[in-house]
Amino acid sequence: MYRIKFLFSRSRSLAYISHLDTLRLFIRALRRTDLPLAFSQGFNPHPRLTLALPLPLGVTASNEPGEVYFEAEVSPEQFISELLYQMPEGLQVIKAIEAEPDSPALAALVEAAMYRAELRSFEKNESLNDNLGDITEKSLEKLMQKNEIVFTKSAKKKKDSHINVRPYIIEAKRDTQTGGLVVLKLLLKAGSRGGISPVFFLEQLALESGDESLNAACWNLHRECLYYKKGDILKPLSERM
Amino acid sequence: MHNSKIELVLSRVQKPARYLGNEWNSVHKDHLEMAVIMAFAFPDLYEVGMSNQGLKILYESVNTQNNLLMERVFTPAVDMEEEMRKNNLPLFTLESATPLKNFDVIGFSLQYELSYTNVLNMLDLAGLSLYRSERSSDDPLIIGGGPCTFNPEPLAPFFDLFVLGESEEVLPELLLELAVLKKKDAGRKEILKHFSEIEGVYVPDFYEPIYNEAEKLLKINNKAVAPGRVVKRIVMDLDDAPYPTVPVVPFIQTVHDRAVVELFRGCGRGCRFCQAGYIFRPVRRRSAEKIVAIAKNLVAATGYDELSLSSLSSSDYPHLDQLIEDLDNKLDGDRVKCSLPSLRLDSYSVKLAHRLHQGRRSSLTFAPEAATERLRRVIRKNISENEIYSALNDAVTAGWQGFKLYFMIGLPTEKDEDVEAIISMCRDIRNRFRGRVKGALKLSVSVATFVPKANTPFQWEPQISLQEIIRRQQILVEGFRKIPGIDFSWHDAETSFLEAVFARGDRLLAPLLEKAWKLGCRLDGWSEHFSFALWQQAFAKTGIDGAKYSERRFAFEDCLPWDHLDCGVERELFVRENKLAHSYGEEGGADNV
Ligand code: SF4
Repeated sequence: MYRIKFLFSRSRSLAYISHLDTLRLFIRALRRTDLPLAFSQGFNPHPRLTLALPLPLGVTASNEPGEVYFEAEVSPEQFISELLYQMPEGLQVIKAIEAEPDSPALAALVEAAMYRAELRSFEKNESLNDNLGDITEKSLEKLMQKNEIVFTKSAKKKKDSHINVRPYIIEAKRDTQTGGLVVLKLLLKAGSRGGISPVFFLEQLALESGDESLNAACWNLHRECLYYKKGDILKPLSERM
Repeated sequence: MHNSKIELVLSRVQKPARYLGNEWNSVHKDHLEMAVIMAFAFPDLYEVGMSNQGLKILYESVNTQNNLLMERVFTPAVDMEEEMRKNNLPLFTLESATPLKNFDVIGFSLQYELSYTNVLNMLDLAGLSLYRSERSSDDPLIIGGGPCTFNPEPLAPFFDLFVLGESEEVLPELLLELAVLKKKDAGRKEILKHFSEIEGVYVPDFYEPIYNEAEKLLKINNKAVAPGRVVKRIVMDLDDAPYPTVPVVPFIQTVHDRAVVELFRGCGRGCRFCQAGYIFRPVRRRSAEKIVAIAKNLVAATGYDELSLSSLSSSDYPHLDQLIEDLDNKLDGDRVKCSLPSLRLDSYSVKLAHRLHQGRRSSLTFAPEAATERLRRVIRKNISENEIYSALNDAVTAGWQGFKLYFMIGLPTEKDEDVEAIISMCRDIRNRFRGRVKGALKLSVSVATFVPKANTPFQWEPQISLQEIIRRQQILVEGFRKIPGIDFSWHDAETSFLEAVFARGDRLLAPLLEKAWKLGCRLDGWSEHFSFALWQQAFAKTGIDGAKYSERRFAFEDCLPWDHLDCGVERELFVRENKLAHSYGEEGGADNV
């Protein structure tokens, strides 16, 4: 068994497909190449491809890790060049390396994610943006002072469960180096050990502000990086590749 | 490529991927270099439209021409429509986000009657007047194709023309001709006159139905150069016909999300209720070599892991077992599973299904349609009780876990005992096979209501009344309640009624459609959107009696609203088949024809 780890980016034109759609897209693209995909066992064998963390609908990304297994040896160069012609515009593999077949799965390493949220500037009306910038900063401050932010998870058959997700917000601040734009940097816990979705965060922010124009749908969300933990320090997952 | 308004709207709707248009294999061309640009409009949601084989065939056969372009558009979902109207965003094609109004031609695919309100809604969202008479030469030419064109009369006032038969034969020719006429600055009337001379093209403006005072249709007059009867066009040799091998691969899951290769077109079985069985005649086969070659190309171009061997009655393909073997050999290593969508209820088919579904034996689907041998003879679904049980027996022996069975109620000559027989047959099946499968036998039964369709031997037959549909459904509901472990479902009576109204309707129904749409009817094929109350209002406000349409029995000598449209089957054959059906009618001869 051979294993390739890769990094990919997703731009606006493909931001609106779900995680499952993205997986299916990768698999179909790989099937169109001549690469010797490895399949799982069982009645319904499927290619062994995983992405480190699902990308939410509407979110673009620049450094998303994924991994895939092959039956025969495939070089990273071959992987990238064969896949290049089969990927639609908007989804691009930017890096690949060979990986030990039995090193830990990428998905199990994910600890946190860094997002950039940019408020869509409508009419390029600077004073409007200034105003919204102020409101955003104030609401952000209030939100971060809270000890508890409750996320209600509704399961189909079980009772709803309530989780305090405040501890999952590691850092949230306005990026002031962006001219007139309103941009937030959000470092949020993510992965199998618990996390908070950036969309939920923005919804809470909008609620806090009471302003419709800060509605979650008014932000462009971009995932910049995923992190793993080395000792107590968060390190970019892409550095391991 | 999308402008900021579209981008904003997309961020607010559910399933925005329905409206993206940059899917794998989608075609993007420079509009300025095209002689003619056309929008293919499917009047239902993306997931339904993208599963339509006609779309794929036409998309490729038009787009492979250098100077022609076809882009796609589907009915927007309710939330999308709301956003579009709120933001003054006109309906646009997916590939280039071009407003529909800018196209030379908008072609609607007319697959089922319940999509008609979507057609009107799409015209309106495009900013076009609904009625042909209110549109100008600068507006796009509005054309229609698909099975409903064998009686498109309720839609006639909204359309410029319809293509009868297989559009891949006609459409490129029509568009190239339009390119020439466009250069000459020909007006709409002149263009339509030209087109009415093309075989298979029906220009409704050139036909005038004549009614008497009682609104009884007397005859249909043809004007100008238009032929008295429009005869459908067909592809003669499937091996030479264009077939899509690089279809668009959707981002999101669609109803049929797989590669499809068509084995043959038409069906020779002649079940009397089945419109497809007549309008797609004659049977034309694709050669095994060609099928294998297409399959190979399809899989390579799409990356699909499933290949559907489609046709109206796939097990009728000669030496199908051999073909499947060839496909297995040729596709080996690609890890593609083949599937057969339409199986006959016999042992041969069960054997084939068994081969294909090694290891995934959940349910087998069959359509006996009627539960008594008499009624099966009436509809010409000639299969005996013994054959049914022995096929089911084979299936269980082969390891299948259950069955999905399809029946119909309201068929001509049907009596309560025929309806009750559905219950007893299913009970019987359950009792016989229950102990023979691992775990519980999965048995699901779905019952539709007969809709008499144009260009079938049953075109003269009435549909049973709405109350009667409900009464017979009630018999089934009661009966199945007493049998545990059967998943019983039935089609909504009201939608079947509407289908019948439009399937046998005429041009006088156009105002009804308009009214229903104005009142808010759309996506009528979706139970969560369908509102019969709104339809009832529309009937009341236009003074149209729906039952007059659905329940009327035409006499053989009556002029039918679709008499000028010819699907290539002799009228005499329909008459003969109708009489034959009734000869198996009630024993007492109550139904004398
Ligand atoms: S019901 Fe099926 S078998 Fe019968 S004519 Fe129609 S397509 Fe053919």
